[in-house]
Amino acid sequence: MAQSYYIFRSGRLRRKQNTLYFEQESEDGQLQKVPIPIENVRDLYLFGEIDLNTKLLTFLAQNEVTLHCFNYYGFYIGSFYPRETNVSGYLLVKQVEHYLDPQKRLEIAKEFVAGALFHLRRNLNYYRNRGREVDVSLEVVESSLKRLNECGSVAELMSEEGRARDAYYQAFNEILELQQPYTKRVRRPPDNEVNSLISFGNSLLYTATLSELYVTQLNPTISYLHEPSQRRFSLALDLSEIFKPLIVDRLIFRLLNRGEIDENDFESIGEAKGVYLKEGARKKFVRVFEEYLQTTVKHRRLKRHVSYRHLIRLEAYKLIKHLVNIETYKSLRAWW
Amino acid sequence: MYVIIVYDIEQERVAKVCQYLRRFLYWAQNSVFEGELSEAQLVKVKSGLSKLIDPQRDSVYIYQLPGKKLVKKEILGQEKIVTRTILE
Repeated sequence: MAQSYYIFRSGRLRRKQNTLYFEQESEDGQLQKVPIPIENVRDLYLFGEIDLNTKLLTFLAQNEVTLHCFNYYGFYIGSFYPRETNVSGYLLVKQVEHYLDPQKRLEIAKEFVAGALFHLRRNLNYYRNRGREVDVSLEVVESSLKRLNECGSVAELMSEEGRARDAYYQAFNEILELQQPYTKRVRRPPDNEVNSLISFGNSLLYTATLSELYVTQLNPTISYLHEPSQRRFSLALDLSEIFKPLIVDRLIFRLLNRGEIDENDFESIGEAKGVYLKEGARKKFVRVFEEYLQTTVKHRRLKRHVSYRHLIRLEAYKLIKHLVNIETYKSLRAWW
Repeated sequence: MYVIIVYDIEQERVAKVCQYLRRFLYWAQNSVFEGELSEAQLVKVKSGLSKLIDPQRDSVYIYQLPGKKLVKKEILGQEKIVTRTILE
């Protein structure tokens, strides 16, 4: 029911009469106010230059709204993650327990990778059925999937995944009609258009996952595939791994192949090697991303329609069930 | 569910009601709000409203519809409502 709000404008976000107001001065000096129904806000994405004060943060915390900030280039800066209201010491102990025991940790990490690879394969199969030459990549992903069970450590698992992903990115040359061949994934900063799109899409997905984790009792800093307790809310990274090919990659294929985003939508800034999305393209991406998250599929077990966004939360719930020993975790495998 | 709330309230209380509804719904035009609500939220809205109004003098109509997709809405003239979630 609640919505994500994306603010590209510059202005001030304030608490007024117990709801949210976005205020902006228009050219003729008039203050333009947009009221936002607070009860209808899941999270806020700030892309513009926005003033806010602690009074607002207090209010957001009361209403359990997470706030994600992005810088001028559209890079993820950080989140305001309000005080947790859904806490469970019991679950925290269980989370740590599964991290400390290498065997238990591996079991969970393996599921994350298995889900991710399954969706890589699914994407490749989709394009193979449409006559693209992706067999080489497909074989690598297939063999990685088979070898997963033999992996004895998380490091091995990571390298197996890395291999599959490299092959997968090679297939981008077949899937996308590119002028320059796509060589490899480069981050910080992304060095070409495709990398730039992947980076932007992944950071959106990462924040969406974090917002879903906020609703659950899980502690977002304890993760299993990525090394926890450093820098970021790494459990969100773990979970978004499963959804990247399912959501972000497919969106990128669609946008580029339909020409909705093309070379003219990117720019490099100054001397730096980075390639960035222009603001117009960023808005377009955010709009289709949000639409995509809201599309629904019929859930076989729940027997109702659930959105992609909700699937992320269900994934968190499944993980909880695993941690408290109700049901073994099996990551999402898209069935539709 | 999709909810449309229409009210006729005496001037001394009308601002309070308008402010209150802004927390939940989008303002469509004078004395009209609409938007998506959950069952629980609707209960909350109703109890909040009943504290603000004077049942002897004011009146609030609440129309419930199963979902936004089932509403066919047409606007003649000015559209005042801002329901966008992407502000650009």
